[in-house]
Amino acid sequence: MNNLAKNGFSPVVSHQKKDGTTWTVKEKILLGLTPKDYLAQQFKNPFNWILAVIYAIGLPIIIGRFIYGLGWVTHSSYDYPWGLFLGFGLFTMVPLSASGFMMGTTVELFGRKDFKPIERLGLLNGLLGYLFAVVFLQIDLGQPWRLIYPMFVSLGPAAILFLVAWHVATYLSCQVAELVPAFAEWMGLPRAKKFIKSMVLGLTVAGIILSTLHQGALGGLFTYAPGKVHPLWYSSPFMWFHFFCSAIFAGLSMLIVVSTFCKWFMRWRCDQTFLKSLDRLTLGLSKGAALALATYLVIKIIAIAHDNDWSYIFTGWGQWFILEISVGVILPLVLYTMALRNGSPALARTSAFIAVGGIVLNRLNTALITFNWDLYQEIPHWREMVIVVTVYATYIVVYRAILARMPILFSWKEKPDQ
Amino acid sequence: MKKINRRSFLKGGLAGTAVVAGTAVSKESSASQSFGGYPDSMGVLVDFTKCVGCRSCEAACNKEQGLPAPDKPFDDMSVYDEIQHNGQKRRTSEKAYTIVNRYKVKDREAGPVFRKFQCNHCNEPACLTSCFVNAYTKTKEGAVIYDPTVCVGCRTCMIACPFYVPAYSYSSPINPVIKKCIMCYDTRLKFGRPPACVEACPQEVMTFGKRKDLIKIGNARIRSNPDKYIDHIYGEKEVGGTAWMYLSDVPFDQIGFNTHIGEQPIISYVKEFLTIVPMVLTIWPALFTGFHLLANRKEALKNEKPSGKE
Amino acid sequence: MTQVRKKIILLLITLALAGWPAAHCLAESGPESATLDRLANLYEAVNFNHSAHVDITEGNCAECHHHTTGAVPTNPKCLKCHPGGQESDSMACQDCHSAKRFEVAYLTEIESNTQLYHIDKPGLKGAYHQKCMGCHQTTGGPTGCQDCHVRNEKGDEFFHAGNFSPAPVAHNGGH
Repeated sequence: MNNLAKNGFSPVVSHQKKDGTTWTVKEKILLGLTPKDYLAQQFKNPFNWILAVIYAIGLPIIIGRFIYGLGWVTHSSYDYPWGLFLGFGLFTMVPLSASGFMMGTTVELFGRKDFKPIERLGLLNGLLGYLFAVVFLQIDLGQPWRLIYPMFVSLGPAAILFLVAWHVATYLSCQVAELVPAFAEWMGLPRAKKFIKSMVLGLTVAGIILSTLHQGALGGLFTYAPGKVHPLWYSSPFMWFHFFCSAIFAGLSMLIVVSTFCKWFMRWRCDQTFLKSLDRLTLGLSKGAALALATYLVIKIIAIAHDNDWSYIFTGWGQWFILEISVGVILPLVLYTMALRNGSPALARTSAFIAVGGIVLNRLNTALITFNWDLYQEIPHWREMVIVVTVYATYIVVYRAILARMPILFSWKEKPDQ
Repeated sequence: MKKINRRSFLKGGLAGTAVVAGTAVSKESSASQSFGGYPDSMGVLVDFTKCVGCRSCEAACNKEQGLPAPDKPFDDMSVYDEIQHNGQKRRTSEKAYTIVNRYKVKDREAGPVFRKFQCNHCNEPACLTSCFVNAYTKTKEGAVIYDPTVCVGCRTCMIACPFYVPAYSYSSPINPVIKKCIMCYDTRLKFGRPPACVEACPQEVMTFGKRKDLIKIGNARIRSNPDKYIDHIYGEKEVGGTAWMYLSDVPFDQIGFNTHIGEQPIISYVKEFLTIVPMVLTIWPALFTGFHLLANRKEALKNEKPSGKE
Repeated sequence: MTQVRKKIILLLITLALAGWPAAHCLAESGPESATLDRLANLYEAVNFNHSAHVDITEGNCAECHHHTTGAVPTNPKCLKCHPGGQESDSMACQDCHSAKRFEVAYLTEIESNTQLYHIDKPGLKGAYHQKCMGCHQTTGGPTGCQDCHVRNEKGDEFFHAGNFSPAPVAHNGGH
C-alpha cells in the first residue's frame, strides 16, 4: 500500500469522495479500491503469503483442538496445567495491552491533549490485546462455552480469577465504548459518538480501576502457588504490584512498537499530524516507560529483600533471574534514559522492542519456565505453539484491517483534501 | 469537546465505580480469618510404617469410583519402577485418584517405604478458594468435593493445589473435568463409612476417624514408639491442616513430601492482594478525580476567559 | 455382599464356638487348623495351620495372643493393667479386634468413652495382617498376598489381573 500511495493513491479519510459523492460501506471496506485492485493488492503483499502458510497449518490444528480436545494439542500436563495459551496469550497479551487505559488516563484525565494523535492507537492496542487474550483463553478453557458461568451460573466471588473474569469482561466493554467514536466516524453515526463523549470520563476512571485490579490480579493468580513459582519471581505482598507496574511500561513500550510498525508499514494510512508528532510522542511515552521501569526495578529488589531470597540469586535460577532483569528491565531503562537525554526516538524505539521482549520473558518465566522449578521443565507441544502463532497472526490481521480503515492513525475529515 | 464540569465528572466517575464495585465487594470476606476446619470432620491417618505396597487401595479406588481400566493390573509391581519426567514418580491422574509409590531408603531395615497419596482434603482447600465458579465444597464431614457440571476448565485449582493432586481429563473434547479423590463422599463418607481405600487396606495402614481423634492417635503412636516414628504428623498443621495425615519412620522429605510447604493455608498468601481490591475500588475514583481536576485547572481557568488557547 | 458377610460372620462365630483359639493358655488346646475367609469376596479362604504356628512360636501364645492367655506382658506399659496370670474371657482375635473398626458405633465409642485406653486398636483385618506379615517379614515366611490366599475370579476382576488384565497398550499421554 505504501507503494500505491507513492503512485498517487489517496485513502479514504472522509465520507465524501473527491468528486463529492459518498463512499458506500462496501467501498470503505475495500479501502476505496475496486475489488480487483484490492485483491491484486492483497496478493502482492508478501506478508499475506506468510499469513497464508500460517493459516494452512494452524487452522486445521485449531479445529482439531475442538474436535479431539486439549489432549491433542498439548502435553496434557497435570503439573503444568497452564501452557502457552495462558502463559503467552493471557499473561503476556494483557500487560502489552495496558496502553489503552494509560492513553485514556493521560489524555482524558490528566488533560494531556498533546498525546491525542496516539490516543486511539493506544485504545485500539488495548482492545485488541484483551480481545485476543480472551480468544487465547477460549482455546485454553476445557469448556469454553461455559465462560459465562462465573458471571451468571455459579459464582465464586472469593477467587481471584472471578475478579479477572468480571474485570476483563467489563473492561472489554469499556474499551469497545471508548473506541465507538472511531467506528462512529467511519460509519457516519454522529449520535453514537456524542453519546460516548458524554461519558468518556466515567469510562476512563472505570478503566483505571479495572486495569489496576485485573493487571494486578493476573499477578495475584500466581500467589496461589507459593511453592511452585520460583521464590525470585514470587512475592505474596508485591506480586500484584509487579504485574501492575510492569504492565505500565509494557503497554507504553508496546504502543511505541506498534506505532513504529505503523510508521514503517502503514505510512500510507497515517496522516501528517500523526507522523509529525510521532517522534515527540515516542519520547513522551518513553518518559513514562522509564519511570515505570525504575519503579518496577526497585519494587522487584524490595520483594527479594522482603522475603529474604538473596541466597537464590547465586543459584542457576538466580542467574536466569539476573539475566531477565538485566536485559528486560535495566537495559531498556538505560536505553530509554539515553534516548530521552539525547532526544533520540530511534533509540527509544530500540528500547521499546527490548522492553516488550523483557515482558514476554518475565511472564513466560512466571507462568511456565520457573513454574515448578524444582520439578521438571515442560516444553509445550508443537501443536500448542502452532496455535499460538496462528492466533497471534489473526491478531495482526485484525489489527491491520482496523488500522487500514477506521480513523485511528488519521483524523476523519468532513471533506477529502483536494 | 463538551466542557466537563465538576458535577458531570463526578457522576461519570461514580458510575464507573459502580460498575466494578458490585463485582468485588465480597472478595475479602471469605479470606478474613483462619479456619480450623469443621469440628467433627472426619479424616484418615496414614501410617507408612505399615504399608507393604500391595496396591489394594488403588484397585478399590478404581472400582468404587468407576474409573477406567488401568494400564497395568493392580498386582503388577513394575509400576514402582516407572519414572516420568526427570525422576518424577507416578502421580494422581484422570484414571487414578490414588497412587502408591515406592521410595528406596538407605539403611532402612524394613526395606523401601511405600507411600500412598491422594487428595489430602485440606481444611482450607486452595482449590476451593481459587475456583471462580465455586465448584468445590468442603463438606462438614471433611471431604473436598467437586461439582463437574459448573467447571469451566480454567485449571486454576491445579495451579493452586500445593500437593499436585487434581488431574484433568484432557482427552475429552466435549466434557473435560477435574478428576480427583472425593474421599468417597457420595457413596460412603456421607453415610459415615470410611473411603473404599481405607476399607480395602489389608494392613490397616489407614485409620479412619474424627480428625481430632486421629491427631491424638498419631501422637500416641509417636509417644509409644519414639525411636521408630519421626516426631511429626504431616498434615496436622501443613497448609492449615489436612483431613489426611501421615506418620512415617523416615523423614518426610525423603518420601516425596514437600516439607517447605508451611503452615499457612494457601488463601493467606492470596489475601495480600485481596485486601487491596476494596482499597483500589474506593480510593482510585477519588484520587483520579482529584488528579483530573488539578490537571485541568489551568485549562478550566483559561476557558473562563473569552478566548481559549485551543 | 451382605450375604457373604453374613456367611463369614456365621462361620467365625462357629469357629469361636468351636474353641479357636480356645480359652486355655495351653498351646495344646488350640485347634489344629482354622479357616479364615473374611476376604472370601476376593480371595479363597486361608487354611491357617494353627498347630504349625504353635510350633514356630515354640508354644509362646503371647506372641500372637498378647496377654489374653495369661502370659506376663514384657512391655511394662501393658503390665500396669494386665499383670498376667489371668486368662481373658476370650482369646479369639475378633473379640478384641473389631471387624467393624471404622463403623460409626465403634468410632463413637472411641470418642465418647474417655475411660477407654485402647483407642488405637487395629481392626480384625489389620490385626491379622499386621501380625502375620510382621512376623513373616522378619522370619522369612511367605509375604506375597497370594502366598496365603489365592485370588478368586472376583479378586482378579478387582485387581484387573489374570483374565481381567488390561490389553497391553502403547503408552501415550498421561503425564
